[in-house]
Amino acid sequence: MTHDDSSDEGPLSLDVPLEERRRKMRSYFWRYKWWFLLGAVFLVLTNLQKFTIPVYIGYAVELMQQAAEGESELELLRANLVWAAIAVVLLAIGGAIARILSRITIFNPGRYIEFDIRNELYEKLADLTPAFYDPAPTGDLTSRVTNDVKSVRVFYALTYLHVINTAVAYAIGIWRMAQVDLQLTLMCLLPYPFLLGGILWLGQALFYQTKVVQSQLSEISTKIQENLSGVSMVKAYAIQDREIDLFSDLNEEFFEEKMHYAVLQGGLQALVGIVAAVGTFILLVVGSSQVVGGELSLGAFVEFNGYVVALAFPTISMGWIFSIWHRGRAAFDRIVEILAREPEIEDPDPEDQLDLPPLESGRSLGRVEMDDVTFGYDDETILENIDLEIPAGSTVAFVGKTGSGKSTLVELLTRLYDPDEGEVRIDGTPIERLPVRQLRSELGFVPQEPLLFSMTVRQNIRFGLDALDYDDTVERQAPTTPLIQPGPDAPRELSQEERIEQAVDVAGLRPDIDSFSDGLETIVGERGVTLSGGQKQRVTLARALLVDPRILILDDALSSVDTQTEQVILDHLDYIMRDRTSIILTHRFNALDRVDCIYVLDEGRIVQTGTHDELIEAGGVYEEMYRRQELEEDLDT
Amino acid sequence: MTTSDDQTTTGDDSRGDSSETDEERPDGVAIGSNFKEERLGDMKDWTIIKRLWRFMRPYRVTFLFCLLLLPVISGLELLQPHLLQIAIDNYITPGELEGIGLVIGAFGGAIVMRAGIQFLQHYLMQRAGQNALVDLRQELFEHVQDRPLGFFHDTPVGRLMARMTTDVKSLQNALSSGIITMAGDLIMLTGIVVILLYKSWRLALVSFTVLPFLIAITAFFRHYLREAFREVRTKVARLYAHLQESITGMEIIQLFVREHVSADEYRDINEEYRDANLRSIRYDAMLYAIVEAIGSITIGAIIWYGSGQVLDGLITLGVLVAFIEYMKKFFVPIRDLAEKYNQLQSAIASGERIFQLLDNEQKVPEVDSPAPLPERPFRIEFNNVWFAYNDDEWVLRDVDFEMAPGERVALVGHTGAGKSTIINLLMRFYDVDRGEILVNGTDIREFDLQAYRSTFAVVLQDVFLFEGTIRENITLRDDTIDEETLHRAAEAVHVDELVERYEGGWEHGVEERGANLSSGEKQLVSFARALVHQPEVLVLDEATASVDADTEALLQDAVETLLSQQTSLVIAHRLSTIESSDRILVLDDGEIIERGTHGELIELGGHYETLHELQYATSSETSEPKVAE
Ligand SMILES: Nc1ncnc2c1ncn2[C@@H]1O[C@H](COP(=O)(O)OP(=O)(O)OP(=O)(O)O)[C@@H](O)[C@H]1O
Ligand SMILES: Nc1ncnc2c1ncn2[C@@H]1O[C@H](COP(=O)(O)OP(=O)(O)OP(=O)(O)O)[C@@H](O)[C@H]1O
Ligand SMILES: [Mg+2]
Ligand SMILES: [Mg+2]
Repeated sequence: MTHDDSSDEGPLSLDVPLEERRRKMRSYFWRYKWWFLLGAVFLVLTNLQKFTIPVYIGYAVELMQQAAEGESELELLRANLVWAAIAVVLLAIGGAIARILSRITIFNPGRYIEFDIRNELYEKLADLTPAFYDPAPTGDLTSRVTNDVKSVRVFYALTYLHVINTAVAYAIGIWRMAQVDLQLTLMCLLPYPFLLGGILWLGQALFYQTKVVQSQLSEISTKIQENLSGVSMVKAYAIQDREIDLFSDLNEEFFEEKMHYAVLQGGLQALVGIVAAVGTFILLVVGSSQVVGGELSLGAFVEFNGYVVALAFPTISMGWIFSIWHRGRAAFDRIVEILAREPEIEDPDPEDQLDLPPLESGRSLGRVEMDDVTFGYDDETILENIDLEIPAGSTVAFVGKTGSGKSTLVELLTRLYDPDEGEVRIDGTPIERLPVRQLRSELGFVPQEPLLFSMTVRQNIRFGLDALDYDDTVERQAPTTPLIQPGPDAPRELSQEERIEQAVDVAGLRPDIDSFSDGLETIVGERGVTLSGGQKQRVTLARALLVDPRILILDDALSSVDTQTEQVILDHLDYIMRDRTSIILTHRFNALDRVDCIYVLDEGRIVQTGTHDELIEAGGVYEEMYRRQELEEDLDT
Repeated sequence: MTTSDDQTTTGDDSRGDSSETDEERPDGVAIGSNFKEERLGDMKDWTIIKRLWRFMRPYRVTFLFCLLLLPVISGLELLQPHLLQIAIDNYITPGELEGIGLVIGAFGGAIVMRAGIQFLQHYLMQRAGQNALVDLRQELFEHVQDRPLGFFHDTPVGRLMARMTTDVKSLQNALSSGIITMAGDLIMLTGIVVILLYKSWRLALVSFTVLPFLIAITAFFRHYLREAFREVRTKVARLYAHLQESITGMEIIQLFVREHVSADEYRDINEEYRDANLRSIRYDAMLYAIVEAIGSITIGAIIWYGSGQVLDGLITLGVLVAFIEYMKKFFVPIRDLAEKYNQLQSAIASGERIFQLLDNEQKVPEVDSPAPLPERPFRIEFNNVWFAYNDDEWVLRDVDFEMAPGERVALVGHTGAGKSTIINLLMRFYDVDRGEILVNGTDIREFDLQAYRSTFAVVLQDVFLFEGTIRENITLRDDTIDEETLHRAAEAVHVDELVERYEGGWEHGVEERGANLSSGEKQLVSFARALVHQPEVLVLDEATASVDADTEALLQDAVETLLSQQTSLVIAHRLSTIESSDRILVLDDGEIIERGTHGELIELGGHYETLHELQYATSSETSEPKVAE
């Protein structure tokens, strides 16, 4: 039973031994064991209260019957009856206190566990690399952090509450009932095992049907998500009718499954009604003749009725336990699939750890070497035996056909991926021996596809400064160097506000910012949708420049920028990156005559190296590509 | 609770310094912090319920039938204590067993019948409710499909998702069981009150003395509970927004070593969320326990007062027992009512948000009797078009141009000049503010929107691939596109080479947003998408920006051969792409400043010529004589 609960196949599935999963699950419980223990104590108290009230009811009935038979003195009887009433009231008050405390002590740790797991998940997610993220559907990930964590909380709090409560209720209830009459107890409890069995069976069926309903529901959500994020495509190709049909099919299927579910749920509800009344029924069948026969007093009869009714709820609650239990475990397994994942990229052991030589002005840094680097995302090799050396302080370019592996190559520098073979060194230090975050804090990466956060333009630009400013685990301090060549008596150190302004200028964003009525405080919309393509790219450029990187990587970062703006940007870069290394990936040739070296990539190999002129001279792939552009132009003019 | 020690064991120790980080960080820098709390409108509860009724209406017969079953169910349940009373008074106390079988039989019968009817009622109600929800979900989806693009730019996907999933779900609880159980509870309560008053009005009045307290206390706690829940709701939305953005942008977060800062932000929101929940647990526990206690106190009162009545011979012992049983049944619905009421409240709040979305009438206006689509090929005219996304920030000023049938027109200009905006207008993603756009002389606002758009094929600047196979991404699941068209288009844009590399071929999986393809490859796929749809007008917005020159040339050939008759509009920064166009428009700050063929513009020696110079700075050095004609 335990095995088929583990989560389904999928990009996120991970084989974690059952023992390990359960150990982890227990560990959260142990973390808050005192809360839970206290909760159990209060549950015992509540149940004691609950099962003591019938005693007084029975006692009162007894007294009244005595009165009817004229056995005792009336005044005394009245006094005793008042005492019985007061006892019930006192019990009620004590019970309320115990009940409040029992719920708080059991539900609170549930929330604490939820809090812990959410944080741990987030921190784990922050450690995982694209190799994990790319195939993982965003919806699936968010659902694990939200819905599954919720199921797990419910698991801890409610299973504990109900299981303990039911056990305690049965123990106390049977004990009390046995004190009244053992035989009658056995008779009255006779149907309970069957009813319990029925309830558990229905609970189980409900659980499996819930799974079906849930997966149907998540298909609906996936459809909506896909439709919404691809909305411009949906509109451009006018396929919304098709989308509506697809949605309608999913919607109908969901309805069907939900109706199966309703049958089971209705069954459970009907059963609940039976459980609530069956005890009294049996008591009537068996007990009434006993009372008449004089074996049982009427008071005991009524008291007994109080017990069987009080057992109804604990019995019924077992119906939910099955779902909660299994859903919680399955959800936990899905969570463990994330928590137990080892990040593919890890910091070196402390004793192996090296540092980069510090950045000083006037000293050229940012030498990049690759030794025989081979890499593939999966089985297929994307980069093969890459050997190169980029001298410190130089500007180089990578060109090559679409899909030749340019982006992949520079991603190896950032350790978003590690090479399968070979070594990458920066300023002589193998990057595997650098702490990952130290390495990344030295890089300025402008990705090929600009991604912004739905913050203001200013917040997006200063995105990389936050860690340097506020995170103590990052050694690097926020740079203060100017981004624009200062005049002879201009300050050498600038505030971040000033640097942001300069970054705006350097990235050529000034006219754009000026045209926004909110200027830098303009909110850019999800992923930056309200900016033009080129504006987005330049914001990401400014973001990278602001951290004063040792190595700047522009992955086709100016493809949506016009040539004029591009020239201006490149001129500025000459100053900012004067002692640093810049790596430019591009499909445009106009910038290539200003770089120190061009690497031509073809199908994952470096096929040519040299300056523009050398490469033209040498002939080959580069010269061909270049001629083609030129040729097209010739044809037109 | 003072055991706050437990809380400090939270999280791992390696990040012990996080609290320090908290203090320094200025507010509002957090990811997702610009998430605007949604303002709730002032829709009346009643209005919302009335509007919800519209969805229930088609199923009203079932619904009413279920309502009719409710008194039956309650009656059968309330019969049970009465039968107990009869058994005690008429048979057990007098010691007379003859005939009790009938009473017991009736008791058993009531149990079974109640179960059966309850089942029926539940099933039918679910059927009606779920049907209504299917309709609602469908209407929401279709409604959202009709919103203009601008709506999606202002509304985060996450929020729309929440409307269409979470809120619908919370309505589900109310529609398919909440309302009816609440009605059932009310009927039950009334039934009990009536029965008790009938059995012994004195004892009944004594028993009900607690009611005012009960109501006051419930109202009191409910107020605090509602506050707590409201807080929980806003926090959960922020938590979600933060998570969602973090997951999509995790690579960037990592590259800018912002993991810890982000995790701290997340932790802060998470903590507020937790604390709001702890508060709600507290109020909820008190409400629950106090209602329960009041129930027991009432039993005390019944014993105190009722026993006197029994002793005085005013009521029988059986009545007293029945009273206690009725009272036990009385407090369960009362307690549930409070909970159901909360559920209903949140359902109404969800309903309000859903209706706000449904009320959003932002729409690309459509005419009642659309003009028939014109004869192909298309002649497209922009007549003095003005446009602004936000008031007064003119993005296009007086744009005026014409595309003859079969002509290739190119748009060039600075970034942010408004090139993509022109496409947005042509596709009617937005409508012009002033001026008009004509196709063969008819204003494009006259056409049926869907029909009009389907004559275009666009490769947008932001390529979108969805999770699915390569084939699906090209055909967009259009079954009418045959293999041959697909293969021809793929071959033309070299997607076939890509497909051959994959084991799964055409069925190879594309990951979300095309994460497992290179940027250029993504553009090729969306180019193929444009070609297989065999459009009247081809629109390319930087469609080859991430593609190398070789491949680009091949793409151009493909367009030339496959779509030679079609009108096309091309935007490119790489001038080599557009030099052969029939006409080039140079856009600057929303205005067309130059127009003509490549040759004419070079001759003109204006803005275009400067751009061209810059782009071919290298080429002019190596091949001077050829260019300088
Ligand atoms: N959805 C939007 N909401 C508000 N402003 C927008 C929106 N889309 C674009 N803009 C603004 O309109 C202006 C023109 O944008 P557009 O996308 O048309 O430029 P573009 O010429 O295509 O530039 P690029 O070459 O960079 O793609 C820009 O200033 C941009 O910020
Ligand atoms: N995450 C991934 N998983 C699997 N394959 C990938 C992944 N990313 C890229 N690839 C494949 O690796 C090859 C190289 O991709 P890369 O992005 O490095 O190309 P590129 O040279 O940058 O191309 P472009 O000029 O289009 O940007 C491509 O064929 C691509 O399909
Ligand atoms: Mg690339
Ligand atoms: Mg654009």
